[in-house]
Amino acid sequence: MKPEGRIKLVSQLLDLPLLDSEGRFCGVVDDLEFTGAAGKPLLLKALLVGPGAYKGRMPAWAMWLVRVLAGDRITRVPLARITSIGSVVHLDCPARELGLDKSERAAERIIPHGGAL
Amino acid sequence: MNPLELTLGIMTSVGGFVDISELVFAARAGSTFAFALIWVFVLGTIGIIVFGEMSGRVAATAKQPVFNLMRHRLGLKLGLVTLAASLISNLITCAAEIGGVSLVLNYLVGWPYMLNAVLMVIAMIATIWVLPFKWIERIYGLLGLFMIVFAAALVAMHPPWGKIAGGLVPQIPPGLSTKELLTFAYFAVAILSAVLFPYEVYFYSSGGIEEEWGRKDLLTNRLTCIVGFGLGSLLAISILANSAIQFGPANVDPAIPGTAALQAAIPFGKWGLILALLGMFFAVAGAAVETCLSNAYCVSQFFGWAWGRHKKPWEAPRFTIAWITMFVLALAIILTGVDPMQLVEFAVLFSILVLPLTYLPLLLLAGDKSYMREQVNGPIAKSLGWLFFAIITVAAVAALPLFFLTSGGQA
Repeated sequence: MKPEGRIKLVSQLLDLPLLDSEGRFCGVVDDLEFTGAAGKPLLLKALLVGPGAYKGRMPAWAMWLVRVLAGDRITRVPLARITSIGSVVHLDCPARELGLDKSERAAERIIPHGGAL
Repeated sequence: MNPLELTLGIMTSVGGFVDISELVFAARAGSTFAFALIWVFVLGTIGIIVFGEMSGRVAATAKQPVFNLMRHRLGLKLGLVTLAASLISNLITCAAEIGGVSLVLNYLVGWPYMLNAVLMVIAMIATIWVLPFKWIERIYGLLGLFMIVFAAALVAMHPPWGKIAGGLVPQIPPGLSTKELLTFAYFAVAILSAVLFPYEVYFYSSGGIEEEWGRKDLLTNRLTCIVGFGLGSLLAISILANSAIQFGPANVDPAIPGTAALQAAIPFGKWGLILALLGMFFAVAGAAVETCLSNAYCVSQFFGWAWGRHKKPWEAPRFTIAWITMFVLALAIILTGVDPMQLVEFAVLFSILVLPLTYLPLLLLAGDKSYMREQVNGPIAKSLGWLFFAIITVAAVAALPLFFLTSGGQA
């Protein structure tokens, strides 16, 4: 399915995992950003990724907990970066170009490198 | 399909089938109700074959593990509830397995239980860190095949085969008092829970992705589930039948794993006991590894992190931190001094409560044509799936009242 195709956008995209051009999982579509105004077409602008994007999808008390545990960062993935949508959303670039790899890289720094077959 | 790979896969499933909860409940069920609960093991085994095959088929067809798709199917809120329930259930189960393997190590070498728990966690972390996925799965699964000594012990005891076959028929033993009837029902629910533990499908479907399953592996998936789980279940039934023959008449309650190991010592002496303990050691340690990895799979797949032991630990760093954290939390539970057999009770109780939450999304996914195309659930898988969903829902509703009414099967 191509992103410009006629699809049930919100239900098709929300909560799908993202796979970057190097085949690495790099987040989940947590929310969608649209542009438009009354009388004008509604257009999908970006995918929102990160715990901050849960706001509006969860009760306030749960959102407080998410903020304490995981922070409230949001990363925007422009629509143009999507190559296809299936059981995952494929991106046309590595996660680092979009800033989707920050947490993974922070975790990588505290893991010893070596000793694995 | 490579016949050697298929055989190894099936043998791994057989050796990895029995865990501490099945071991304890099979032995206690046999000594308390003779052969009358064999049919529950058979029922549970058909259930795990149905759901295991379904989760493997989803992995091979959609190329995504169950939890990746579960969030998309259920949405964020219900998905988070399912995630939290699964994590708690798996963590308690993991702690119970670590407790169980530490007890078995104590029987084997005599070292203190708490020290064993620490050493075992270090050893299991080292195993997962060093070895690739297939080796981890195969080493524990294949060495767990020492458990075959329980089946050999049963044959050597010349059991009443007619009575064992009679246990395959669904039944409630006649003449039970109300208390005994409730205890029978509690054992039935506990056995169903132990056979259908949620971690099994998460581990199995994620394992399918780790091993890069595709449509060509659908037959392997089906055979591994049917033959592997089926034969594995025979080991659990052997423990139940041995217990009925050896412990029931002597009024012995095999409430700890060491008593169950004696089943092989009676016909085969010291070497029977050693083989039984070694089988239990590797099977239970394998279950601890699977529960721990399952939790890391669930969290990583839910939040879209890089995951899998086909990658080096530093290539999937949050996944690595997740499984190490799970081991540390499970060890912390053990170090509080809680009785490991009580943990086994809690593990089966909590698991049955969350089972419907685990299997409903799987049923929905496997029945969804947009993911599964021509591999969507057929009429048999669909009917069996919904039938077992109804059974586990009834069991989940009955579990808590039965637990309290029977004081955890002690009534």
